[in-house]
Amino acid sequence: MKYVGKSIDRVDGVKKVTGDLKYVDDLKLSKMLYAAVKRSPHAHALIKNIDVSKALELEGVKAIKTGKDVPQRAGLYLEDKYFMAVDRARYIGEAVAVVAAITQEIAFEAVKLIEVEYEVIPAVTNALDALKADAPLIHPQLEEYYHASIFHPVPGTNISNHYKLRKGNIEKGFEEADFVYEYNFYVPHVQHVPIENHSAIAQMDRDGSLTVWASCQSPYAVRQALSVAFNIPLNKLRVLSPAVGGGFGSKAGTTLEGVIIPLAMELRGHPIKLTFSREDEFVNAFVRQGLHSKFKTGVNKNGKIIAIKNQYVWDGGAFNEYGVNISKAAGFAAVGPYDVEHIWADSYCVYTNHPVGGPYRGFGMSEIHYGIEQNMDIIADKLGIDPVEFRRINAQKEGGRTATDSYITNCGFLECIDNAADAIDFNKVETPSGKYKLRGKGFAGGMKAPSMPTNVASSAIVRLNEDGTVYLMSSAQDIGQGSDTVLIQMAAETLSINPDKFTIKTGDTDHTPYEWQTVASRITYCAGNAVVKACEDAKGQLLDLASIKLGFHKDDLMLEDGYVKAKFYPEKKVAIGDLALGLTMPDGSGVHGPIIGRGSFIPPNTMNFDLETGLGVNPVAFWTYGAQGVDIELDTDTGEIKVLRVSSSFDVGQVVNPILLEGQLEGAIVQSLGTALFEELMLKDGKPVNNSFVDYKIPTADDMPEMIIIPVENPEKTGPYGARGVAEPAMIPTAPAIANAIYSMTGVRIATMPLTPERVKKALKENKETGRTYFGVDSDYEFHIK
Amino acid sequence: MKHKISFILNNEKITHEVESNKTLLSVLREDFDFTGAKEGCGMGECGACTVLVNGQPINSCMMLAVDIEGKEVLTIEGLSRGDVLDDLQISFIENGALQCGYCTPGMIMSAKALLNENPTPTEEDVKHAISGNLCRCTGYQKIVKAIMVVADKNNNQ
Amino acid sequence: MKNFDYYKPDTLKEASELLLKLDKSYIINGGTDVVVRLRNELMEPDALINIKEIKSLHEIIEEEESITVGACVTMNEMAHHKAVIHDFGILVDAVHYAGSGQVRNLATMAGNICNASPLADSATPLLVYDAKVLVYSPNGDREIPITEFFKGVRKIALEKGEIVTGVRINKYKSVKGVFRKFSRRKEVDLSTVCSSVASVDGEIKIAFGSVAPIPLRAYKTEEFLKDKELTDEVIKEASKIARTEVSPIDDIRASKEYRLDMVELSVVRGLEHIRDN
Repeated sequence: MKYVGKSIDRVDGVKKVTGDLKYVDDLKLSKMLYAAVKRSPHAHALIKNIDVSKALELEGVKAIKTGKDVPQRAGLYLEDKYFMAVDRARYIGEAVAVVAAITQEIAFEAVKLIEVEYEVIPAVTNALDALKADAPLIHPQLEEYYHASIFHPVPGTNISNHYKLRKGNIEKGFEEADFVYEYNFYVPHVQHVPIENHSAIAQMDRDGSLTVWASCQSPYAVRQALSVAFNIPLNKLRVLSPAVGGGFGSKAGTTLEGVIIPLAMELRGHPIKLTFSREDEFVNAFVRQGLHSKFKTGVNKNGKIIAIKNQYVWDGGAFNEYGVNISKAAGFAAVGPYDVEHIWADSYCVYTNHPVGGPYRGFGMSEIHYGIEQNMDIIADKLGIDPVEFRRINAQKEGGRTATDSYITNCGFLECIDNAADAIDFNKVETPSGKYKLRGKGFAGGMKAPSMPTNVASSAIVRLNEDGTVYLMSSAQDIGQGSDTVLIQMAAETLSINPDKFTIKTGDTDHTPYEWQTVASRITYCAGNAVVKACEDAKGQLLDLASIKLGFHKDDLMLEDGYVKAKFYPEKKVAIGDLALGLTMPDGSGVHGPIIGRGSFIPPNTMNFDLETGLGVNPVAFWTYGAQGVDIELDTDTGEIKVLRVSSSFDVGQVVNPILLEGQLEGAIVQSLGTALFEELMLKDGKPVNNSFVDYKIPTADDMPEMIIIPVENPEKTGPYGARGVAEPAMIPTAPAIANAIYSMTGVRIATMPLTPERVKKALKENKETGRTYFGVDSDYEFHIK
Repeated sequence: MKHKISFILNNEKITHEVESNKTLLSVLREDFDFTGAKEGCGMGECGACTVLVNGQPINSCMMLAVDIEGKEVLTIEGLSRGDVLDDLQISFIENGALQCGYCTPGMIMSAKALLNENPTPTEEDVKHAISGNLCRCTGYQKIVKAIMVVADKNNNQ
Repeated sequence: MKNFDYYKPDTLKEASELLLKLDKSYIINGGTDVVVRLRNELMEPDALINIKEIKSLHEIIEEEESITVGACVTMNEMAHHKAVIHDFGILVDAVHYAGSGQVRNLATMAGNICNASPLADSATPLLVYDAKVLVYSPNGDREIPITEFFKGVRKIALEKGEIVTGVRINKYKSVKGVFRKFSRRKEVDLSTVCSSVASVDGEIKIAFGSVAPIPLRAYKTEEFLKDKELTDEVIKEASKIARTEVSPIDDIRASKEYRLDMVELSVVRGLEHIRDN
């Protein structure tokens, strides 16, 4: 291939290195007004009264809106979300009122003058407490909420979704097992921390048409949600996403857009801008859900896992419109990348009075694998089997079955395991750098599918210009992952036109064609397929015209370097640009007109699962498998960990752009390393206590390990040029691998993230004093739901 | 309280009136439309607002604009001459050292200041010099490489 | 950020008079603390007085017996100054990890100590050097030993109208020692514990930050170590005494227990360093 598989420079590079690219907060529009939000100081409270009179008197204030102005609920999978609290605030930081003013300063001042009368009611700030029979209900009207049919909310409880997986015969499995082990793990809330905070601008004209500029991953999903919530027809609602400064899931769906639209509806013709501060970003954009996980594993003495029974309890926060799907995704992947005959899994998404949980790179997989991959290591150790070998024994392989009992026809997991282990010489003992130091290695695998509904669609349009250049149009958003470049490479390959002749346009629902969402590591695959189809469509038209022009049958024509050429007489050719507007005949008449290729795509053959058993023949488009090894050093006196090297091998199907692929895998490693070592959004009785960069630390350049990336290319049959998604899967194994490395050095197992110096030191100290080796979660739990 | 200040902004002499409570960042972005410097935190922790003042990188969110009197300010917009990019900008593109691009202007300005002061830094020097610039996308490996490529070029000259 | 009046006097006298004259008026120097506090509305002054126009405050003056670092010398200027590097290695090490490069290009050591955070990065080295804080006072200049400068969280021993003009540190014949910062992340983080442990002209001096309302010296531990050979046993006992001299709290950055352990560890590793080098 000429362009697919090559490290071409990113097409948005110059705009980004010069600072020329305008992100939403960089936009300055005439007559613009600035918004600020009044937020709930209570985790759970009834709103008795909101008095905005003093705030309205402040000079420069143009309008104030409260939840009563947007009473319609919205949501992607479960319509449980209010853009502003209507009569109940469900988390600290929830919007209760919004001001528009002529300057940002005045808007902030006005917010202080809004008086809200609350009746504080008992809050639920732990997902396990939320499941108790006497727990206060956060959504008493859950029964009335519309939801997609594949989800199962339990009215009268705080459960927004209960996914069940019942494969084989779990009791029989445990009976047959030689050993049965039980372990619990806990992963706290973390935040995505894109460097760009959320920003949106909304403007409604007098004719009722609404334009929204948003730093969002999914303009079409935002358009749909806002259309429902505000009862605006889709053709009157334009969503633009000019640039996105990092998303990682936090900018999927809608967050702040709906807060400013009531203002825009009143203040016609004024663009209203709302930009989150970093403090807002930590609390009022999505956060990653917390997870309590529990595993009971039956295994044979030869190392084969027979049965796993597990429970996942997701701390979904105040609204679970998006989070319910994370609990389902976790169910599909209940036991990770291993082939287990008997599985019984329950995955509960639970309401709490915490910030809103939502999609975060990995979509639940990082959280469950923190448990799955440590559980694997513990059992390998108990059985005296090498942890890498134990994974090989149990790995999903071609011919095996996934957790949902689908046949596995395409799986490079074993190769990934071997690559990752070899790249860091997994069994070689390394020398620590000093006398207080230990050095050790850890290993973990992981899997992920694009966690999207079975019927979500993509489309693309390709337009040829008369000089041989090309417009490619898509609404796949380049949020940094490089989709603009990758889609151009695939288009260039299909049309055999040099990538530098392409311009890609995205992110405008009035002009760029439908794309469900830029999430789920699905863009290379889904949007890529749509782009290839659009280019094939254009190619068909070109061949038809060239066939007339050159006098060859179209089967004997090919595209090459900007020309249509006769396969066996390559000197017989016509420039693609000469056909772009149609063919001109010798008598001056024209044929066909401009060439516009269109491509539409829906993943083939993905179908719903059985609601009772959770099983399905083909519930996901594909699985991406991979493995990582880590080499770390630990200061036993301080508990400080330095990650020295990480190897990462994923089966990507086909590398489209090596340098961009490496960028995805490296970025994922360091992001996962951050969650492993220091990231946690600390919530005390529902109150965030570290929602700034002063106390929520993400990795710096100094924390970066040496990273070794080894792609496996085992083509995805339904993927464009064989490619499958990898940006999220790459984040999964690093954190458990680090925990496993600590165990391998110290014999101490820490079941709670993050592995802060303090937590590690405490465990080491206690281990020394009492011999304790397993440091489980603080509150073990037992619960039962019918 | 308004103050009339004179300074050099991207090689151009400027006289401008600012309020006491405006940061350099807000003046660059709002009054001069130099939006390459970004506000990522407003507290000097993320480095997205990094610009050079008298050749030194600073967080423009932590500096009051009134203090810029008599000084020379260089933002990312002033780094390239027309469409001729700086070596660092080229190296960032060629080495895949950017993804979403939001940290990129600040990152490049920190790197520029480092190379001005020390044209042949070690990898450790580079990491230390950019540790005040957070990037959530790249994992930093390619950023460090992009800077080292320019440094190695300096080394061979 | 609320608006305020802003003054840029050329002389200390003017600056001091403004401080005395104007209600709710404060000095702004590097601004890295003040601007963040303004943003977060933790301070809402009527007036700020910038002292950076006062030329004399930008100097590092080397004399035979001492070095004086002017109040407006930035941390980076100081950390790159040859004489400072030569004589005050512990201070340079501490400053090297104070905030980011961008912060160090604005922030000053005088500002760092005047801000009087319990975890001020430059405080523990200055404490073991027994530095003197130089103060302009309307009633005549005075010097305050650094050990008497910190009075509480964000409280210092300055009277109204007084301005810190610099810090003077004696040049010692021999200094051996280490600065140690424990933090969640190595770069650009606040200390959970910081410490300086040094042998200054043969006398052991130990200071801690972030384990009490103010950065402080561990006098009892120093007293215990007087004229003792640094055997493993002595070091161990010293570390236990140090534990009793501090009063850390639990907060979101670390627990009291962890801080106490790191105090102990600082003493052990610090003294071992002095002994073995």
